[in-house]
Amino acid sequence: MIEFRNVHKIYDTGVEALKGVDIKIDDGEFVFIVGASGAGKSTFMKLITHEEVATSGEVIVSNFKLSKLRRRQIPYLRRSMGIVFQDFRLINTMTVFDNVAFAMRVVGASRREIRRRVPYILGLVGLQSKAKNFPMELSGGEQQRVGLARALVNNPSLIIADEPTGNIDPELSYEIMELLTEINRRGTTILVVTHEHDLVQSFNRRVIQIKDGLVVSDTKEPEVAMYEI
Amino acid sequence: MRFNTLRFLIREGFRGMVKNGFMSAVSVLVLVCCLMITGCAYLLIENIDHGFESIYQENVVAAYAEEGTDKEGLAAIEKAIKSIDNVAEVEFHSKEEQLKDYSSDKDIGALLTDLEDDNPLPDTYMIHFKDLALFDQTVKKIEAIDGLEQVDYDSALAKMLTSARSMVFTVGIWIVALLLVVSLFIIVNTIKLTVYSRRLEIYIMRSVGATRRFIRFPFVVEGIALGIIAGGVTYGIVYGVYELVMPLVDLGKKFTPVPFVTVWWQLLVGFMGVGVLIGIIGSWISLSRYLKENME
Repeated sequence: MIEFRNVHKIYDTGVEALKGVDIKIDDGEFVFIVGASGAGKSTFMKLITHEEVATSGEVIVSNFKLSKLRRRQIPYLRRSMGIVFQDFRLINTMTVFDNVAFAMRVVGASRREIRRRVPYILGLVGLQSKAKNFPMELSGGEQQRVGLARALVNNPSLIIADEPTGNIDPELSYEIMELLTEINRRGTTILVVTHEHDLVQSFNRRVIQIKDGLVVSDTKEPEVAMYEI
Repeated sequence: MRFNTLRFLIREGFRGMVKNGFMSAVSVLVLVCCLMITGCAYLLIENIDHGFESIYQENVVAAYAEEGTDKEGLAAIEKAIKSIDNVAEVEFHSKEEQLKDYSSDKDIGALLTDLEDDNPLPDTYMIHFKDLALFDQTVKKIEAIDGLEQVDYDSALAKMLTSARSMVFTVGIWIVALLLVVSLFIIVNTIKLTVYSRRLEIYIMRSVGATRRFIRFPFVVEGIALGIIAGGVTYGIVYGVYELVMPLVDLGKKFTPVPFVTVWWQLLVGFMGVGVLIGIIGSWISLSRYLKENME
């Protein structure tokens, strides 16, 4: 599903963010990407979403070879994934329902589909009663759940969560992670970028550690990875 | 594109316009200023041209029929003159009419009363041309008509008027074109600020897989709406100011201002059309630049 083959990324400023990364993530996996600030985690994610392009090597996501991707294919690559942001990125002038429906409208869903799907997804993240509220009326944890609902609503095969618990209370962080686990159980591949040790250690999942642009460990034993950060 | 999606995008365009009320107002204001300057330049040129037109109309060619030509002959000459392409109008003044007209003149009236039985004035055709640029060719055609004794004209004045009109037209086109380019430049930068203020929405659209066309559409709708509003407002202002100011302008009898009713639809279509066009092109350019810098 996601494959990095000897991927290098050098920015125009001369900074070498990735120095030959080889990774393979299969369909249905739940993977934590960990590393200190500036290690190359963000670049790794941006290469998957095609916000950045690899300087050399090949990135393959959902059968799209990104080095050969045409401009008009980019939206279709992005439709195969849902992105959850650390700062939620909700539109404050839209209700919870509209924020989630917005993602469906963008891909041309009919009104009927939206009316059927959005309440279902809001139910999945436990926000059916907040559909008419505006984001500013919700807690941080609830806002992140709206973000998660928006990422899920188009039924993507991959969810990328960039520090999804970075802006919420620790106890609510576990709720979000439980939700992601539940979504993964239904077959969606989950990629979580985080630097929260406790969280990673609480969930027994594959952990890829990036340091100075290189994958320094790739293990299913979280304790090992955490010692190396 | 589905009707539902189209409706959503149009609504988004209007919603964006209302939501970013301040920026929308600034865009309309800038566009109104630009359109107003362009409109005033157009009206000024139109008035100068109208002034020339008045002189133009007075620059007639007089053709005199040969002495003793009968009624049929005079009618045949008139028909021959009218059949020439560039002839706009022919006024026939019979020798009797002219004598009567001159008789009422206090200076030469007394002189002509004695000549009533032997009228020396010729039957005359006053000929107006459509295009003074074809003056010489047309005069040659008139001179070639049988039964005409003499043709009087002022070729130098016709040439001067033709070149002056063409100069006003050329300068006018360049001024209007320059103003439109300046307007477009200002609008592109104003809409760029609107785009920037909505970068979160654009980013979300982009991250969930919206196509460039989809992202652009509401902004283009917004551009069209702003263009229509700006065009309408400009039209109203220009109409009011023109009607208020022009009656106060006195440049002599020959330079009567162009009545607004004769240019109203050109101005309305022009303001709306240019407003919409600048709105579309402005939003297209601003968003394309933004997407190029931030999307891929």
